[in-house]
Amino acid sequence: MSDMAGDRARPQVCVEVLSRSFGGVAAVREVSFTVGAGEIHGLCGHNGAGKSTVVKMLSGQLAPDSGRIVIGGQPVVLGSRQAAQRLGVALVDQELSVVPELTVLDNLLLGGVSTPLLNRRRAAAARCRQVLGDMGLDRIRPQQPLAELSIGERQLVEVARALSQNARLVILDEPTATLSDVETEYVFAAIRRVAARGCSVIFVSHRLSEVLELCDTVTVLRDGRRIATTPASELTVSDLIVQMLGEAPHRLTAARAPDPQPGHSLRIEGLRVPGRLTDFSLTAQAGRVYALAGQLGSGASDVLRALAGLHPQATGRVRLRDRAVPFRNPVGAAAAGVAFVSSDRKSEGLFLDKPIAANFLATRLPGLGRAGLLSSRREHQAARSLAELVGIADHRLREPTAALSGGNQQRVFVGRSLGRDDVYALLLDEPTRGVDIGGRAAIHRLLRAAADAGLIVVFASTELEELLELGDVIITMRETRMVARYEGGADGAVLMRDMTQGERAA
Amino acid sequence: MIRRPAAPPETLVPGVALVVVLITFFCTPLMSGRALTAFDVYNTFQGLAQLGLLTLGLGLTMIAGEFDLSVAGTYVLGGMLAVRTGQSSAILGIVLAVGAGAAIGAVQGGIIARLRIPSLPVTLATYVALLGLTSAMSGGLSVTYTNTGATLWMDRHIAGIFSPPSLITLTGFVIAAAVFGGTRLGREIRAIGGDRRASRVAGVRVERGLVGLFTASGSLAALSGALFSYSYAAANPNPGLQPLILATVGCLVGGVSLVGGRGLPAGLLAGALSVALLGQVDAITAIPDYYTELLYAALLGVIVAVDAPGLRRGLDRLKARAATIRTPDRRP
Amino acid sequence: MTAADNDRSPAMATARDLPGRQDGADTAPPAQEPASAAAAGRLSGLRGVDPLDVGIVIVVLAVIVTGMLTTRFFSLANARAILASTASVGITAIGATVVMIAGSAVSLAVSQTATVVAMIFLATQQFGLAAAIIAGLLSGVAMTAIQGAVIGFWTANPIVLTIAAGFAIGGVATWISGGTTVYPQVTAFNGLNDTPLGLPLAVYVLLAITGVAQWLLRRTTAGRYMYLIGENPRAARAAGLPVGRVTVIAWAIFGACIALTGVFLAAFNTSANASLGGTLSLDAIAAVLAGGTAIGGGKGSAVRTLGGALLISAISDLLLLRGFSTGIQLLVKGLLVAFVVIAVHVRSTRGRR
Repeated sequence: MSDMAGDRARPQVCVEVLSRSFGGVAAVREVSFTVGAGEIHGLCGHNGAGKSTVVKMLSGQLAPDSGRIVIGGQPVVLGSRQAAQRLGVALVDQELSVVPELTVLDNLLLGGVSTPLLNRRRAAAARCRQVLGDMGLDRIRPQQPLAELSIGERQLVEVARALSQNARLVILDEPTATLSDVETEYVFAAIRRVAARGCSVIFVSHRLSEVLELCDTVTVLRDGRRIATTPASELTVSDLIVQMLGEAPHRLTAARAPDPQPGHSLRIEGLRVPGRLTDFSLTAQAGRVYALAGQLGSGASDVLRALAGLHPQATGRVRLRDRAVPFRNPVGAAAAGVAFVSSDRKSEGLFLDKPIAANFLATRLPGLGRAGLLSSRREHQAARSLAELVGIADHRLREPTAALSGGNQQRVFVGRSLGRDDVYALLLDEPTRGVDIGGRAAIHRLLRAAADAGLIVVFASTELEELLELGDVIITMRETRMVARYEGGADGAVLMRDMTQGERAA
Repeated sequence: MIRRPAAPPETLVPGVALVVVLITFFCTPLMSGRALTAFDVYNTFQGLAQLGLLTLGLGLTMIAGEFDLSVAGTYVLGGMLAVRTGQSSAILGIVLAVGAGAAIGAVQGGIIARLRIPSLPVTLATYVALLGLTSAMSGGLSVTYTNTGATLWMDRHIAGIFSPPSLITLTGFVIAAAVFGGTRLGREIRAIGGDRRASRVAGVRVERGLVGLFTASGSLAALSGALFSYSYAAANPNPGLQPLILATVGCLVGGVSLVGGRGLPAGLLAGALSVALLGQVDAITAIPDYYTELLYAALLGVIVAVDAPGLRRGLDRLKARAATIRTPDRRP
Repeated sequence: MTAADNDRSPAMATARDLPGRQDGADTAPPAQEPASAAAAGRLSGLRGVDPLDVGIVIVVLAVIVTGMLTTRFFSLANARAILASTASVGITAIGATVVMIAGSAVSLAVSQTATVVAMIFLATQQFGLAAAIIAGLLSGVAMTAIQGAVIGFWTANPIVLTIAAGFAIGGVATWISGGTTVYPQVTAFNGLNDTPLGLPLAVYVLLAITGVAQWLLRRTTAGRYMYLIGENPRAARAAGLPVGRVTVIAWAIFGACIALTGVFLAAFNTSANASLGGTLSLDAIAAVLAGGTAIGGGKGSAVRTLGGALLISAISDLLLLRGFSTGIQLLVKGLLVAFVVIAVHVRSTRGRR
């Protein structure tokens, strides 16, 4: 891998004091690094460290506020994806960006600047077969509809598309999150091949051992700043964790001991969602907070989604307060006393155009009147008391929810499920995603208070501080399965290892 | 994210529909008591000429995930414009009609793509406005086309079963199929309909594509209307929603989904041909209209079921429940 | 949801919106308004000023000014004429508003449903007026609520489904009626053609329905759910809201409204054939859109739709009085709808992109 050492001295891609903020909050602050020709450069950082923002700026999806990007010695302006592609930047987006309606071949050709207007079927198919073969996908025919492929195979097709575009810079944003080990090996081999041709590669991943295995150099971001750029050969997983977290966080408060006389409980047995979750069992007691620790694709959020009724194909047994929960149906789950807070606040959570009060009341309308008629007085009361509970000024209740900051929106979202006597289990997927420190502490207080008031609280998160701070019981998950269960005695490094390391030991 | 299972509907639906309709067509002698003639086939193609290009234009926008209701208006306007301006030169009339259709489509496409506004309400408003414009042009009355030379030319029999309008229509489909299958545009149109975000990330120029599509559908609808008016020697300012509904049925039977991302010109041809054949079966056998209506209802009912995610979730739920019951309960 | 700010229907827009906008008010014909609306959008660091309100005020002012220059426009007789012409489309439009708010976009089976209800109403005249009305209403509600169930529980595409339903309803109607015009055996319906205080009964029904729908949307659980489901169906599903049930309720209300229109059409025409429903489907949608209800769902109100329907009638009436053809009336109606649709969209996405 070091035969390109001469070229690497000559940087091909330079990121120079790049900054970008959103609504006054800095997401990336004066980040600089360089990637040489043929170099595989890892980009690591915890959630919210600014990786995605850097990737978006480099791929033409977001304009920097200041700083510049230099490719091949020329300062460039990447105004759009097309502009970036013309300058030789290929991208594997964090979100799966292939079109299931098209064939595999069409997906490989989609949007490429070098794709000719007229199709050359035979040449394209031959090239496609070769590209697929490089990915270990010999079994897939170019003319096969993508919809027939598994999620992992689709991801491989997207990686193949980026790697086959003869780019000068290939950015892969979490390309392996949904892949098996064998599939990952193929991706790595393919990445090494394009790097060997002199292409620069930026590789973003949460799986730290993978980063060390694949990359030549690793840049770590924290809170939007570059912390270090180190040759991978000089790093261990523990070093990386320290760089990412600063001091590895330890449990701040002692875990709550189980109540000697437990109240109601949520019993999950053999919960299974095809392809997403394998055999999950847990008994959660009222008054305690349960944390599911796992990255994207680990199954942590699927536990919650299945319980909320959003995985109709889920199987298993779920009982809440000794009654079976009809958990394949959201209406049934809600009626049984399950409240769910999705990780996708915008499209699966709040009604953003509606006033804050309407969002507070959305799930408790039947309790606010008689025979379907609402009582204004009780509505106002309920909305005001919730506003007070979550700390939102009374006079803002009529404003559209979209006008609130992300943190306050999240408070409304969480508050929606609080103070209801027909909710027994509160499930939260990433309860503080995109929330600032202050909002986060407030939400944590709310959840702790909810547990103290006798609710079963289960949340999924990827953020160590949150897991350690809030979870009385922490369950780590990886690749659709449970890894370990901790009641006290866990620290950040242990959780991180459980969540990020596959069989590949560091 | 898993969106939809494999995409055979785009070939399966039109294939099955066309075969069924063809069988019905060839069985009509059993009901009418007279053998099929070349003239019946000619008439079928005349029916195709009436709605084919309209179906094609509408279908192309549907593949990209949009619904262009205004084609019904452009169709009417195209017919009227061609008749009003083409009395001396038929070609001039067609050119003006197609030009107007293209301009209307381009403006609409620009608004829809730029503002990212749902196409249905915009095109509905355009439809109403175009209907009004056409009616204002003609004083609300049918206008006769006095260029009998052109009308006769339109009704010529070519090779026994074709006429110039039906050949033009078929040519339209051939060109569309060639563009779809032979260039990267077809892939991009389907990608735009399938997953707009992913298309943008992949580098597809989504806005430009949409403007082009609406321009194409406007032009095709206007051409369709012009040909129809010439061959009937009259332009009707308000034929109602029937052409639009039949064209939509043609698209849906042709394997296109309103969600977008699915469909091929060949399927659209099969869909339009199915509709034309059914019309001809009606005419030959003189069965009451409601048979056809009920048949359409049943066909669309099947299509609705194929494309209903809630129904699929319900089936998943039943399957999962059955699987749970099969495994023995470990708890008392 | 607090109604106060949203309820200002176009017809009731007050002088509060006027300052600063008089410049273009007299001169701008409706067709040129998107430009001034965009300008208004830029100006509106001021809260409460939005392109839609400004545009509607301009349209209403234009109507008023032109109306003053038109003899007989501001007369009691003409006001009655406007109201009367609004009634039958208006009643259906109120129902269409409810389903559009609940997120189901449009129905293309309205004309056929109204026609069938009219036939049933006329065919059951011999059992008395009340029985005939009930029969008509029940059939309308049943036909439409079934479509609502398929849309709500199966998330079927409303356009395809209602086209199919239109064929099915029309087909069955022709089958049973034999394709002929239905004449009543007795005419119990004469009372429906009464004109108390000089206005057709249908106008009173329209006003009553508007009030009921408005109350239902704002003050009942089901109505509130409709706004939520319409705005964000995924969020509603994830929150465990009864999406299917509420969709059925919305469509049942729609069915009742269509049925009432059918009953009035039957009483007015004293007979019913397959073309009775005419262009009701699109006319109703046009009125809803002109009132500013968004096709995407979650926004709008019955009162707004009443305003939209009245505005369309008033403009058509004005154009008629000034000697313009029906063609021009349609053209203006189309442009008005296009303008409102675009303005509503620009307003709802402003500041988000």
